[in-house]
Amino acid sequence: MSELAGQALTGFIVLNVVIGLVTYVTLLERKFAARMQSRIGPYYVGWPHGWLQPIADALKLMMKEDVVPTLADRWVYNLAPIVFLLPCILIFATLPFAPGLGVADLNIGVLFFLAVSSLEIVGLFMGGWGSNNKYALLSAMRAVNQIISYDLPFIFAALVPVVLAGSLQMSVIVEAQAGLWYVLYPGLGQLAFLLFLIATLAAENRVPFDILEAESELVAGFRVEYSGMKFALIQLGEYAHMIGTSFLGALLFLGGWLGPGPAWLGPLWFLLKAMLIFLVVTWVRWSFVRIRVDHILAISWKLLLPATIVLLMATAFVVAWRGAGAA
Amino acid sequence: MPPETTFLGETGQLVRAVGRAMGVTLRNLFRTPVTVQYPTVKRVYPDRFRGILALVYDKETGEEACIGCRLCEYICPPQVIKVEMLKAEKRNFARTFTLELYSCEFCELCVQVCPTDAIIMLKTFDLATADRRELLLDKDRLHALGLEHEPSWATGNRLRDMQAPPKPAKTEAKPEAKAGGKDAREPAE
Amino acid sequence: MDTEARRVVEMGYGGNERLVMNMGPQHPSAHGVFRAILTLEGETVVAVDAVIGYLHRCHEKLAETLTYVQYPSIASKTDYVSAMTAELAYVAAVEKVGKIDVPRRAQYLRVLVAELQRIASHCLWLGTWCLDMGGALGGGATIFLYAIRERELVLDLFEALTGARLLYGFHQVGGVRYDLPAGWAEQCRRTVDLIEQRLDEYEAMLERNAFFLVRTQGVGVISRELALDLGVCGPLIRGSGVAYDVRRTEPYSSYEAFDFTVPVETAGDCFARYRVRMVEFRESIKIVRQALDGLPEGPISSRPGVKSVGQVRIPKGEGYTRVEGARGEIGCHLVADGGAKPYRLKWRGASFCNLAVLPHIIPGHKVADVVAIMGSVDPVFGEVDR
Repeated sequence: MSELAGQALTGFIVLNVVIGLVTYVTLLERKFAARMQSRIGPYYVGWPHGWLQPIADALKLMMKEDVVPTLADRWVYNLAPIVFLLPCILIFATLPFAPGLGVADLNIGVLFFLAVSSLEIVGLFMGGWGSNNKYALLSAMRAVNQIISYDLPFIFAALVPVVLAGSLQMSVIVEAQAGLWYVLYPGLGQLAFLLFLIATLAAENRVPFDILEAESELVAGFRVEYSGMKFALIQLGEYAHMIGTSFLGALLFLGGWLGPGPAWLGPLWFLLKAMLIFLVVTWVRWSFVRIRVDHILAISWKLLLPATIVLLMATAFVVAWRGAGAA
Repeated sequence: MPPETTFLGETGQLVRAVGRAMGVTLRNLFRTPVTVQYPTVKRVYPDRFRGILALVYDKETGEEACIGCRLCEYICPPQVIKVEMLKAEKRNFARTFTLELYSCEFCELCVQVCPTDAIIMLKTFDLATADRRELLLDKDRLHALGLEHEPSWATGNRLRDMQAPPKPAKTEAKPEAKAGGKDAREPAE
Repeated sequence: MDTEARRVVEMGYGGNERLVMNMGPQHPSAHGVFRAILTLEGETVVAVDAVIGYLHRCHEKLAETLTYVQYPSIASKTDYVSAMTAELAYVAAVEKVGKIDVPRRAQYLRVLVAELQRIASHCLWLGTWCLDMGGALGGGATIFLYAIRERELVLDLFEALTGARLLYGFHQVGGVRYDLPAGWAEQCRRTVDLIEQRLDEYEAMLERNAFFLVRTQGVGVISRELALDLGVCGPLIRGSGVAYDVRRTEPYSSYEAFDFTVPVETAGDCFARYRVRMVEFRESIKIVRQALDGLPEGPISSRPGVKSVGQVRIPKGEGYTRVEGARGEIGCHLVADGGAKPYRLKWRGASFCNLAVLPHIIPGHKVADVVAIMGSVDPVFGEVDR
């Protein structure tokens, strides 16, 4: 019973930390993007440098009027943000932040993470359908197309470290990188990391793959009819998913909490590595124009999927050969 | 650059292009932002800045320079100026002078035609308000603005002298005849 | 709107699984106020019905009520992004009908500001086009902000010259109103040097970028015959293989004294039009440098400065002048009746004629291409609706 209470407490703490992290990551992105564009970014709220900007945004969204279109499908429309948000937050339950520090270090951790993170599509499509808006529907259809196409290379690229470590449990994968981080693994590691990053960009609807929310065409995509707290939930879900996959990338490829210094610095290293991946994704986001939906799908099915399958098979051969060779 | 046809060639070209684009963004990350933090920092306005309008007093006599001739009223394209003349013994004045700044185009034509350099533009634009009636400037307000802010370079005579073609066969070499290259800020006589 | 389209719009459903979607007057990438009624089959656009007129401000009637000295400041509001060339069209028409000479220095100044304005207008074009293609939260915004940063430098030059940043009132009948202030030539040279360097950066970001190329190559092809049939102008026709530039075919304002090339591409797609405009950037910089080097001394106007509203009277006559604006050929047909106001003024807006291609080239493309094509056509609705 107390174990359950302990887990519940850990879960609650992790949830709050994640939400706080997600709100401040938006500020990080805005400042980073601003500097790349020769401007300053949020500055005045929480002077200097806009430290209170995310809090101001959250308060503003809470105070906004909740506008529901007259012809919207009520139940679907209202449930969509929640169905979208749940998987995006649930993935944090499987992440270990330090050896023994995490909500649930499942022995099928990576599988659970990948499976649950794909569930956001359901919420996304519910939002697009329930809004009774042609733009939202168009964007939701594109989104389903894109996310389903890119989940496969995403999963295969994420499976390369699993095969190298021989386990789906996340803490075991991190421990197996004690000697050499998987991103530095000759050949396979870099390729897998690169493919993982590209698939992440697409699975997160980040430019150049953000055909879902192409502002100049579809003006916010499936979110277009949402306002106030529901919009905040959707934004929260998107950024949480983004951070979650950054954490996964840091864990699978960059060695998780491993780093110089005492063991209690582990979560800090983990955070830094995840932020590094996030910044690289942001850097890519602010450098490119978006590509058309048919090209996006062509890249996924004709380029990424064969590449990741071949990579996974090559990893399997290498591991088998290494396992047979070593004692 | 000829398009590559092999798979590796295409991929290499793509990687190089991606690297180039991201390199430009990264280079800009380390450049100083160009933002000017208005209103704590104001940028330097050039001499000819066309800001809000004002009426001035004559430099020698200290009287109002406006003689109520209504030339500015007639030339204003959106017709925002309304003047009534007040006749007096030595010279005329403007009895009322209203300028609807909310409709003003800031084209500087009124400044251009004024024979006594009475109406000028200032080097400021900051008259933002929540009540449009405050932008209906009357004569007192216009004179007050003229005293508060820095005037721009342009006055009627200066503009007309800059634009005038050279007068034929004058004995003294007028500086306006050689309009090019000279410091156009020196006022004519 | 024609009756068939109205019926389709009211039904909201085009039959045959077609979706009628409105890219309405308020849209982030409509480049102004423009309504396109798209009929979609899935993602492919099948028909386009363009609705304009949201920015109609009765310029031509206004010109009949304003005199020749008042209207040049208003003329800049037709093509407000490229205001200098718009004013130039009007005053050139007045000077042609009234047979008024323009001194050499004024002609060179007009060329100088027109080319600087072309640079600024193309900066805006590049920025907004990439913004439309890349999204307000994405790489497009980055290029947009860089392009605007460079455009601000040119606008600073104009501000030092005239006092205004967007709508200048620089031209007057017989010449120009402002002469160069001290230090302006050096500032101008520094600015164009900087812009030339930054152009290399933009090309690095876009030129061989596969993402950009797949969005623009083969998209929105205007064939040579179509371009000649519809009377498009400017970078659209030069991107389709016709070497027509008003500055070369009918030189005005001493353009014959300048040495520049007119870029022509044959592909006719968005990428060709992009290449044409990027080369035009560099050619305009060349012309600016030549103008600064060769600026003759002399008066800046052949008529005295404006002193009264009815100062310029043009005898009876009519005439048409054309100038090469940033978007194409801007034409101005003036009928004068001997007074201080024109009897009739007709603007030929470059963007108005360019928009005529849209129903011919958009069908068959995807929705995402509509914005790419609109951006490469680069309409400004002040010119379209006047």
